[in-house]
Amino acid sequence: MFEDPDILTFIRTLRDYAGYDFSNYSEKSFLRRAEKIMMDYKLDIHGLISKVKSDRLFLEKVVKDITVNTTELFRDPQVWHAIKYRILPRLASKREINIWHAGCSTGLEVYSMIILLNEMGMLHRCHIYATDLNTDVLNTAKAGVYSYRSISEFLENFNKVLCENPYNFDEHLVVTHEKYFDINKVKDTFKIKPEFLDKAVFKKHDLVTEPNPFDVAYDIILCRNVLIYFNTILQNKLFIDFWNYLDPFGSLVLGIHESIIGPPSAKYEKKGLIYNKKVF
Amino acid sequence: MQNIVIGGSAGSFQTVTAILSSIPRNYPHAIFLCLHRLKNVRGGFVEALSLKSNVPICEPYDKDSVMPGIAYLAPANYHMYVDANNQFSLSTEEPINHSRPSIDVTFCSIAKTFKSNAIGILLSGANKDGAVGLKAIKDAGGTVIVQHPDECQVKTMTTAAIKITEVDHIMFTNNIIDYLKNLK
Ligand SMILES: C[S@@+](CC[C@H](N)C(=O)[O-])C[C@H]1O[C@@H](n2cnc3c(N)ncnc32)[C@H](O)[C@@H]1O
Repeated sequence: MFEDPDILTFIRTLRDYAGYDFSNYSEKSFLRRAEKIMMDYKLDIHGLISKVKSDRLFLEKVVKDITVNTTELFRDPQVWHAIKYRILPRLASKREINIWHAGCSTGLEVYSMIILLNEMGMLHRCHIYATDLNTDVLNTAKAGVYSYRSISEFLENFNKVLCENPYNFDEHLVVTHEKYFDINKVKDTFKIKPEFLDKAVFKKHDLVTEPNPFDVAYDIILCRNVLIYFNTILQNKLFIDFWNYLDPFGSLVLGIHESIIGPPSAKYEKKGLIYNKKVF
Repeated sequence: MQNIVIGGSAGSFQTVTAILSSIPRNYPHAIFLCLHRLKNVRGGFVEALSLKSNVPICEPYDKDSVMPGIAYLAPANYHMYVDANNQFSLSTEEPINHSRPSIDVTFCSIAKTFKSNAIGILLSGANKDGAVGLKAIKDAGGTVIVQHPDECQVKTMTTAAIKITEVDHIMFTNNIIDYLKNLK
């Protein structure tokens, strides 16, 4: 919980002027972001507060700067193996599958999912929804254009997830990068192929203040490395929200160092890296 | 309970294992380890450190509570903070000093949270990460120790720290171990 009166005023201003609520964000990482913003714009906390009050565009920029947007293609291959071998097979007989990436950043996690589903022959039955608070990252996600240099280190994980089977070391598939990406090393571009661009719906959404952004029940919700920026109170609220938004047999996928520890843990059954919705 | 935070990079692994294998079992203090690792070496580190350690090694989950007698290792690819309510908080913010986890991030947060109950120890390493954090611990009233540069495989990190902070002790590994064994 924040104690510094100036920080509290700053947070209250963002809420009163634009409806964002950072009051239950993780203290230390939020303060570090705020300090960085003040340094970058050469403002002290009072200057920062008065500028967000008088300049709405600046306020929106500050909100974007507060968010941490690091993301990767096929981040943590063991999670993708769990999705591939533990979750998706259970959904094999469903006619329609709803998947929500909450806090999708620039979309690399979303395209990882699209690629995996395509390889498993399930893509045509899936509705893929992706949301984030930050509209800049959503625009990047929609365009599907990245810098090759920033992506190249993740291609090893692409191979690990798509070509190797941890349960059967003899299995080895070949999936080329060209199938999914247009890569130009000279121009340093890495583009998602057009036929995979329109498979997901991207939408601005605030997990803290808004209800379910789409009128569906999800088979899978991925919310990875988003809740680490929230305190326990807010995390627990979201675990309940997600429970309400999940289909009775739905699964929640968190980041590799995130877990449900408070009271909402009774509402989920943990299977390895996956939380399955418990229905009483 | 004291809160001992150890930062290290290139050339620090042996010192860390020497420390962990020498402190007593049921150690009454909490230990935090922020060690740079090679990129893409994400697994196996806990196992390697656990082999000879007298205290359990654990990579904390976000919002886990700090307990004495455990050595908490900053997970690969995350910054590790300790919040005022004694809970861990992880973050994937951009690398600082080219490092994630960054020693400065963990040291600064330990300084703010534990103030005079923090002990910072900086070991061998090839960049300047940790210097600012060690100063923060000292400024907040904690105790700061630097491994003797003569003993460091790479002394960039320790000399950078000594340059900006009046450290309490410059010690060889054996003395660091004695210090930690006798810590009340
Ligand atoms: C570190 S990224 C995680 C990206 C991806 N899920 C992954 O694990 O690679 C965290 C994302 O959460 C978003 N975020 C932060 N607060 C949010 C909120 N209140 N509502 C929706 N998204 C939020 C940020 O904008 C950022 O893009």
